[in-house]
Amino acid sequence: MSAHDNLTLGEALRHLPQAAPPSDEWMLLRERLRPASVRPSALRRYALPAALAATLAAAFVILRPAPAPAPATVAHVEASSSTNGATSAQIHNAQNVANHDERLAQLQQHSQALERWLRETGRDASPLQGQDLAAAAEIENLIGLVDVELAAPRQTRAQALWQRRVGLLEDLAALRYSSYRLAAGSQLAASTRID
Amino acid sequence: MVSTSAFQIDLPQALVERVRRGDVGAFEQVYRRFERPVYTLALRMLGDAEAARDTLHDAMLKAFQRADQYRGDAPFWAWLRQIALNEALMRLRIGERFIMSMEAAGLDADAFADDAPAPWAHADAQLLEHALAQLPAVTRSVLWLYHVEGYTHPEIAAAMRKTTSFSKSQLARGIARLRAILDPEMLDPEIPEPESEVESCPLTTT
Repeated sequence: MSAHDNLTLGEALRHLPQAAPPSDEWMLLRERLRPASVRPSALRRYALPAALAATLAAAFVILRPAPAPAPATVAHVEASSSTNGATSAQIHNAQNVANHDERLAQLQQHSQALERWLRETGRDASPLQGQDLAAAAEIENLIGLVDVELAAPRQTRAQALWQRRVGLLEDLAALRYSSYRLAAGSQLAASTRID
Repeated sequence: MVSTSAFQIDLPQALVERVRRGDVGAFEQVYRRFERPVYTLALRMLGDAEAARDTLHDAMLKAFQRADQYRGDAPFWAWLRQIALNEALMRLRIGERFIMSMEAAGLDADAFADDAPAPWAHADAQLLEHALAQLPAVTRSVLWLYHVEGYTHPEIAAAMRKTTSFSKSQLARGIARLRAILDPEMLDPEIPEPESEVESCPLTTT
């Protein structure tokens, strides 16, 4: 058996030549390039429902048993504040770290709660359609991009990324909330119908 | 699993910063470097040159428009690849190529890891490409994402909004089908032919 026989499928596929587009797409693309720093306008109309959905998700968190507080953070603060020789700058720094960790944990918890809420309400909601479906797909894509950055081994802006993730999940929750409300309305109408 | 994705191109930090500020000239440099990896990924997943071209166009447009959102924690190539993957997956969904009946229970990739010489070891590029093209789009996509791009099953499942077992079964099915196509003597009667209408279904790309 030669070494060639041991070629794995992955290796064989990676040895395939890269494909090139049939024409120079850059010239077409260049005409459409405009910097855009604003979020998709389609999402703006969800500001109020987003707040509502976030409130519902928050209520969802409150009604669930709270997980135990992160012991490492508490221990860190206690250790810092009980050190006799610590300077005020060191204590201040330790408090900042503790606050940062606490905020990060809150964001992660909020993110998990929103995802859980989306998963559980998604089962009962009407399927999204048209513009809502497109907006939901867009938000999910943006969450995917945030997740790519969060998966980086040494990412340094975790809090900002988690903040953004929570914001996007709230947008998604707003979309789903509308659909959930519609489905609930339909069920209510069906159950109260008088023949 | 070691991934040597064609996307793994490191860019100078200064170039990325210029792209983040909306510098079209800098973005052209990025485009030139990633044009082929993006197009190849889309072509392998969608199996359609026109759809792959549209994916390239839209993915690059979004990458430019969202560049200011890139935080620089993950490599730029990973961020750009995610955009390209999302665009290709969106087209797969539009083309209704997600065939739920393809989900096969009980198939495991390890079941095919026997000692027989792998037929792809002797197949030339043209033959292998031809065999790949005969797979259903979703199966081919899973195969490509797993073996070439180095995605894990949970990552593929999340991207496709499916379960991990769906990803695993698609991979196993894809490997089995490739073996059967490249070496018909190994055709397993238990493995059904791919649904032909899947491949003949034209993509809707607007």
